[in-house]
Amino acid sequence: MLPAFVRAVYRLSTACAVVAALMLLIAALVITWSIFYRAMGASTYWEIEFSVFMMVGSLFLASPYCLATRGHVGVDLLSHYLPKRFARPVGIVVAVVGLAVCVYLAWAGAEMTLHAFARDETTESAWAAPKWPLYLAMPVGLGLTALQYVAELLRDTLALAGEK
Amino acid sequence: MSELQIGGLILTVTLVVLFSGLPIAWGLTAVAVGFLLLFKGPAALANVPILMMDELASFALLTIPLFVLLGAAIGSSAAGKDIYESLHRWLDRVPGGLVIANILACGMFSAICGSSPATAAAIGKAGVPEMMKRGVSPAMATGSICAGGTLGILIPPSITMILYGLVTETSIGRLFLAGVVPGVLLVVLFSAYAWFSTLRAQRAAPPVETHRYTFKERIEGLGRVSPFLGIVIAIGYAMYGGLATPSEVAALSAVLALVLVMVIYRQWRLADQWRIFRETVRESTMILMIIGAAAVFSYMLSLLYVTQSAAQWMVDLDLNRWVLMLAINVFLLVAGCFLPPVAIILMVMPILTPVLEAANFDLIWFAVILTINMEVGLITPPVGLNLYVLKGVAPDVSLPTVLKGSLPFVLLMFLAMVLIAIFPEIALWLPGKMMN
Repeated sequence: MLPAFVRAVYRLSTACAVVAALMLLIAALVITWSIFYRAMGASTYWEIEFSVFMMVGSLFLASPYCLATRGHVGVDLLSHYLPKRFARPVGIVVAVVGLAVCVYLAWAGAEMTLHAFARDETTESAWAAPKWPLYLAMPVGLGLTALQYVAELLRDTLALAGEK
Repeated sequence: MSELQIGGLILTVTLVVLFSGLPIAWGLTAVAVGFLLLFKGPAALANVPILMMDELASFALLTIPLFVLLGAAIGSSAAGKDIYESLHRWLDRVPGGLVIANILACGMFSAICGSSPATAAAIGKAGVPEMMKRGVSPAMATGSICAGGTLGILIPPSITMILYGLVTETSIGRLFLAGVVPGVLLVVLFSAYAWFSTLRAQRAAPPVETHRYTFKERIEGLGRVSPFLGIVIAIGYAMYGGLATPSEVAALSAVLALVLVMVIYRQWRLADQWRIFRETVRESTMILMIIGAAAVFSYMLSLLYVTQSAAQWMVDLDLNRWVLMLAINVFLLVAGCFLPPVAIILMVMPILTPVLEAANFDLIWFAVILTINMEVGLITPPVGLNLYVLKGVAPDVSLPTVLKGSLPFVLLMFLAMVLIAIFPEIALWLPGKMMN
């Protein structure tokens, strides 16, 4: 039951990374296209902002996968110098703090998104795009990162209990 | 508590939190939010998400994921192997030619890759086993790649230079140009050392006859690297011909590189593309999350008036400017042993920028000094990122051997820093020439 949940969360994180990759590719293609379009004398107005939206979406959506594959760089000097038997408990405490940060940021980001949605906030450019889709990336991406933490914590605490 | 005492407390807490193994991005956020709550109350937290988002939603920052994509695309192909093989064909008669070929290949690869571990991985993957097979000592083989890889952040494009430019509000184009000549200087110093040290070793034990390449083989080798050189030239032309902004150049070259690896290296399968993009989004997210968190962190420092007080304190010390520079570099060197360059630049530069300006140091010049300093941190334990790469490339070589091999190169980096301090033109001549 539990391994199935852990695997499902990992698959979800990977799926988000695929979407993140596509968004980054779209940003690269749009900017490349706009260089040639502008060189032909046309003026561009939505391309820059659109590609920024894509990048922000990409970076938050890739976060859970980054966590799952140990991509978020940390400096684990502590567990290096502590006796081996402390390594796993310390790892669990660190993961709980990480989970708390992600939950906090997801919650704060959700508030910001709702606020922007309710007040119809738009960007200050000629394109005047609504801001909430940009903001939405934060609660979604970090919420899923929190979920990835929960899955890993469950796995690790069970492993720790199993050892005892 | 005075601002400086608060600053000391923040520094201590930050180090403890970061060394716990918590990802740097979450660590910085936790410390920033904690201190805001403690000293300013919950109301101060209202801006946290918007600060993070405003920092990240920037067109200039797009350079980072796009240059990472460029490096990952070329790095996933056999281009690294091709570059160093074709260089070796020209250097087969030179003592230490194989090592020099690897160092030059690192330098060339740095011209499309903005990250040091990625450069070390791309060239080291093929280079280290090849060097060891042909009798180069494990220390020299791993040390030269470890050091050569660090050129990734000095020779443009460079992720750390981009960040430095964003934090200090200096021109990224100018910063890129400032890294070129110092990069070449390091390549020359590294190669000279490899040549000299091999020559000395050969005097003791003459080498076995190695394969010699014909002129035709050498020309063929050049053909394989020409598309790669094409991208390098295209980047330079678009950036300094005033055709496009750094973000646009990054996008164009990333797309070009993707097409190149699909057409020339036949990596058109989805699995190949996924490998490239997987690395790209992982790396970019890690860097960008740290940038977002650092924005909150420096907001906290500035709201508690720590940034201003710390800078003022350093200015008031009224040190001789070179004593100040030495002190800054010792501090950065120690910090670099424990923290990655990205985190150091984001945390330290907001405080150092006014101090450097007060002491009349050129910020572009300092970027080069800082970058070489950070390079040293990349090859020293406990957190040298390049060391981890080498562990993956050459698992049989022990860490002390890699360190022993890297040490002479570290000394050469110090020498380069001294030279650039004495002759600032090494860094400043090219940007002055091209951009004035």
